[in-house]
Amino acid sequence: MKFDTSGLESHGQLVGASDGLFNGFPTAPSFEIPNTTDFDCFQKEAIQMVKPAKGTTTLAFIFKEGVMVAADSRASMGGYISSQSVKKIIEINPYMLGTMAGGAADCQFWHRNLGIKCRLHELANKRRISVTGASKLLANILYNYRGMGLSVGTMIAGWDETGPGLYYVDSEGGRLKGMRFSVGSGSPYAYGVLDNGYRYDMSVGEAAELARRSIYHATFRDGASGGVASVYYVGPDGWKKLSGDDVAELHYNYYPVQPSVVEQVMVET
Amino acid sequence: MSIFEYNGSALVAMVGKNCFAIASDRRLGVQLQTIATDFQRIYKIHEKLFIGLSGLATDAQTLYQRLVFRHKLYQLREERYMKPETFASLVSAILYEKKRACKRFCVVAGTASESLYGACEAMFKPDMEAEELFETISQALLSSVDRDCLSGWGGHVYVVTPTEVTERILKGRMD
Repeated sequence: MKFDTSGLESHGQLVGASDGLFNGFPTAPSFEIPNTTDFDCFQKEAIQMVKPAKGTTTLAFIFKEGVMVAADSRASMGGYISSQSVKKIIEINPYMLGTMAGGAADCQFWHRNLGIKCRLHELANKRRISVTGASKLLANILYNYRGMGLSVGTMIAGWDETGPGLYYVDSEGGRLKGMRFSVGSGSPYAYGVLDNGYRYDMSVGEAAELARRSIYHATFRDGASGGVASVYYVGPDGWKKLSGDDVAELHYNYYPVQPSVVEQVMVET
Repeated sequence: MSIFEYNGSALVAMVGKNCFAIASDRRLGVQLQTIATDFQRIYKIHEKLFIGLSGLATDAQTLYQRLVFRHKLYQLREERYMKPETFASLVSAILYEKKRACKRFCVVAGTASESLYGACEAMFKPDMEAEELFETISQALLSSVDRDCLSGWGGHVYVVTPTEVTERILKGRMD
């Protein structure tokens, strides 16, 4: 796609201006500026207005057996809960997962786009793309749109020839390789439980329970997280969904309520 | 988010046959963060008078303390409890309301108030007995707060009949 510069061409080139000073020199290309009170800052204000706060909790971590990925399922618009059943773990291809935090449309679209590019890479090179490569593709695309109002806070988790891989990619253009990440408004609460319980040599069951617990604790404290805690495992044979538990049920499983009867008789005078 | 949505709250009250019920959620938050899950929003003024206060928690507590003070003075002077209508006028005078409070069958307040209006419209029937009133008000409260990020985490219901006051804690979604 050729870079379109037709907007920069000025209407009516002045060749040989009347004042004689710029004889023969064309004036610099110009374009119309928007009609605003504050030209330098209006774009930033517009972006802040539409930028959705990343009201969610997602997490992923690498351990001995592979990668564990978990997320909640609530979508909120300010104080209103718009949905309790959003799929925040996106299946890019059978061996790679992406998580969604930020704008739902942005995440879904760009993950699907990434899936297409990964498939094209497979067809062109007769081998699967690495997690490093896939995350770099996404990060480069998002960097091109930097400052234009995209809101994406995603983790790319997968298993390739070098083993398990986990990258954090966001719409500011950042890309980080790591062993443990949590993204969203509930992430501080999830980190607390995750960092405390993490060990590299856990079994799949223990890691799944740690991921589930972390999401549950985040949904308890964070108003913008809730619904269903989904847990996925990525191993050498690709990803597998392990569980999807309603966090209300998890609460009463972890902290059962002892029914207590308090009798108070008020004396009528 | 506005100052009314800073702490989050949900309140509903209904009138039945010779009884009434008042219910609230139990969350106290600071915007999206949940601080407490056992916050009291309904206060007892006397055996037949309860007041629920939604909105900013600090203002609700201050207002409650002022109302208790005024009611205690009234009790000392008049040697009787204040009638609910009188109390409502007192509250509205303190809040500088120009309109007189009107008698309603179903009242809602809080961040979940829009959902609560809908739930009450759908579920309310006039002249319900105490048990049925309890069921109705609990269902209305729980289903409304499940659509609000800022309220919920349990429920607190008072059902008042001529002979007794029943206080119940509701098991709700804790997310």
